[in-house]
Amino acid sequence: MKETPLSACERDFILKAIEEKKRLDGRQTYDYRKIKISFGTDYGCCFVDLGQTRVMAQVSCELVAPKESRPNEGIMFFNIELSPLASPAFEQGRQSELSVKLNRQLERCLRNSKCIDTESLCVVSGEKVWQIRVDVHMLNNDGNLMDASSIAAIAALCHFRRPDVAVQGEEVTVYSPEERDPIPLSIYHMPISVSFSFFQQGTYLLVDPCEREERVMDGLLMIAMNKHREICSIQSSGGIMLLKEQVMRCSKIASVKVSEITELISKALMNDKTARKAGGRCGFAESMPQERITALKVDETPVETADVTEKASSIIKEAEAPPPTAPSPVVPVPGVGQVGLGLQNTWGVEEEEELEEFSSGDDVEEVTKMEEDERKNTKGDVVEISDSEEEEVVILHPEKPQKAENVKSSFHQKGAPSSKKKTKQKP
Amino acid sequence: MEVSAPSNVSLREFGCEQSLLSRPDGSASFVQGDTSVMAGVYGPAEVKVSKEIYDRATLEVLVQPKVGLPSVRERSQEQCVRETCEEALLLTLHPRSSLTLVLQVLHDDGSLLSCCLNAACMALMDAGLPMSCLFCGVTCAISAYGQIITDPTSAQEKESRALMTFAIDSKERKVMMSSTKGSFSVHELQQCVAVSQRASERIFQFYRDSVRRRYSKSL
Amino acid sequence: MAAGFKTAEPLEYHMSFLKENCRPDGRELSEFRTTTLNIGSISTADGSALVKLGSTTVICGIKAELANPTVEAPGKGYIVPNVDLPPLCSSRFRPGPPGEQAQASSQFIADVIESSEIIKPEDLCIDRGKLCWVLYCDIMCLDYDGNILDACIIALLAALKNTRLPKVTVNKATCKPEIDLKERHELPVHKHPVGTSFCIFQDSILIVDPTADEESLSTSRLSVVTDEEERLCSLHKPGGTSLSAEKLQTCINRATARQREIQKLIEKVLNSVKAAQ
Repeated sequence: MKETPLSACERDFILKAIEEKKRLDGRQTYDYRKIKISFGTDYGCCFVDLGQTRVMAQVSCELVAPKESRPNEGIMFFNIELSPLASPAFEQGRQSELSVKLNRQLERCLRNSKCIDTESLCVVSGEKVWQIRVDVHMLNNDGNLMDASSIAAIAALCHFRRPDVAVQGEEVTVYSPEERDPIPLSIYHMPISVSFSFFQQGTYLLVDPCEREERVMDGLLMIAMNKHREICSIQSSGGIMLLKEQVMRCSKIASVKVSEITELISKALMNDKTARKAGGRCGFAESMPQERITALKVDETPVETADVTEKASSIIKEAEAPPPTAPSPVVPVPGVGQVGLGLQNTWGVEEEEELEEFSSGDDVEEVTKMEEDERKNTKGDVVEISDSEEEEVVILHPEKPQKAENVKSSFHQKGAPSSKKKTKQKP
Repeated sequence: MEVSAPSNVSLREFGCEQSLLSRPDGSASFVQGDTSVMAGVYGPAEVKVSKEIYDRATLEVLVQPKVGLPSVRERSQEQCVRETCEEALLLTLHPRSSLTLVLQVLHDDGSLLSCCLNAACMALMDAGLPMSCLFCGVTCAISAYGQIITDPTSAQEKESRALMTFAIDSKERKVMMSSTKGSFSVHELQQCVAVSQRASERIFQFYRDSVRRRYSKSL
Repeated sequence: MAAGFKTAEPLEYHMSFLKENCRPDGRELSEFRTTTLNIGSISTADGSALVKLGSTTVICGIKAELANPTVEAPGKGYIVPNVDLPPLCSSRFRPGPPGEQAQASSQFIADVIESSEIIKPEDLCIDRGKLCWVLYCDIMCLDYDGNILDACIIALLAALKNTRLPKVTVNKATCKPEIDLKERHELPVHKHPVGTSFCIFQDSILIVDPTADEESLSTSRLSVVTDEEERLCSLHKPGGTSLSAEKLQTCINRATARQREIQKLIEKVLNSVKAAQ
């Protein structure tokens, strides 16, 4: 499905509003939309709402062989899925330009910044290391997917716990969460991406563009930074020229935003930790807003099953019982059998016969003798399928017996059409 | 081995939120215990020429797993959900158009397929698509001791010797879809069908309540 | 005239037959097409069978390979079924990666193998944690005329019954497996699941063993797999028209009768093969 195009007057309206320092949702130039971070039931599952934009990140792990060039390091794998759920323009299973761009940026932001201690993921050097896989699913696209994904991914990584392992000689034992408490990843710092969009060749700048604004923007600058004000990655796209001052100003704004967001993530992590410790239920099921008119929840409900057994028995009793005996199958030659009422599929037997030949190579004599009978039979049969034509053509072939003998001796002529011949017995 | 009369049969707490996503034409997230699925519907919209059907709408169903890419298992779930929806939807009212239903698994704690079906039905309702009937999914497990458990958790699923998921329609409570795992006797099957039909009453009542709640403040 | 009618109004054409309780190919509603079975069709495979159901033709070859068991299940071998629907068998299939139907069929066969316990994965283990058999069951459709699921299950079952694995011993000194190709033994087949597929026309008419035309015109499909103890291994109905519990029971009873018929067929053919050797 194609994205609905933006009309010219809408475009003009948005641009005009930006010139007047106004945004569609009433935000100021440097404002982020409301960020909500929640965690799922399992470890390493994080939902991020950035206004209407929604993403989910799930971290999983697996023991794999390490890369040959780095035998002591675990492997990080990032995958951003542009699910068609988020926008009708996204197609499943196709690598679009956008998905490549987002994946690259996330990798740069989280892998190349070395924010995760990959050496601690090594189990047996050169043989077994943990592969940490981060899947980020877009649920709703309302602009600025990159920032939402980076927050979700890093929060999920912080939340994630991998199973404990023990190495004894060559044996590697993976402990279940019940046996030993799972271990969190060691994370050095938390890089977070902040996006800036530029309009009118860089004259105007907005933080956290929404989907409409993204459509009319001229260029985008993404800065990934941690709370120590270290820039992990910086990328500008869209082909606009930026002045040094502009970049400097953006990085200053980013440092403020990053410290705010980092604070938010740590708070969310703390909340989740206390909730888990308290033994209360946590996760998505709990985060469903109860007060909304569109949401409803019912408690565990019993199902009456008083007469279920009777009902089942009566249905079985009332149904017509299957016949106790089965019709006897016909075995024309060893290795071939037929079962069926009335309608004989002569075409079928030929083929069987042919294949049969090289497995056991049987009495051809007897088979050919029966051919005369066969011909009469098929004529009698009124079969209203196109096969019957073909049938006749084959039957009337004069020199079958000899050819059949040939096939028998030469074994491999499976395809020779003239070797087709008939077997047919009436039970 | 005969099954004993089902005793403690219950559905876990379940809930649903509709219209929670801004982009899709209809969306819902359905929660059964800890299992939750998010569904979004787009359409009726323009259809690709290769998928166009001249007398009805083309329905596409996509199931997105939480980890990794969709595999054969998701394909078979997609097929089950799609054919159930196709039957319930009045697709002939929108010829030469496309409907897309995307199901994103948020957490799997058993009875995933039935949760997918329920989420799909709520999302289709939210999208306001014309349907001939509603449907709901119910999963039944038969434990090693021969007891029927409805709406099992994944731990219960693992211990069970048979697992069945049915889609029940709202008109006559007949079986629209059935997908089973493990072996079981005919009697067990009929019992599970009967139990599912009973459980479906609860879910249809929930559908009714949530629609009533939703439109309680309009006008 | 009839041919024109069939092309122009395929559904009407079929319905006019079904109203009279018969079908365009002369069958009754609950009648299967002639089932032909050939066991041991591929001499190079460890086990093979060819099944024809009317003109639907399916061939199954089993290849056994030695492999390492997975860490999660050290005492188990595994079975990998694959259903291939090549463009050769019908114009509806295109070359390229397996389509939806092929994937759904493969999954269905895998589910049946797992549910029915036709082969116990423990039987495929040779040396716990070190060595096990993997059975690759490749099922290929040669001619597609509907109801491939039933044909696939018969082919798979017959091929498994025909499979003879060579004896393998693990050399204690070298820890290498030694294969004795002369000494072969049969695979223990514990259950005999057989499938029966139905189609529903116009919300009420149930027909068994649908042809390709019938499949595409029907409003719903249903496959029931039963074994010799009358236990159900699968009741697969991917959607479509709803069915009452009573109707389901009718289908199950028909499937039970079919199971007996096919099991008898397989046994008789197997015996004939053995007698001929």
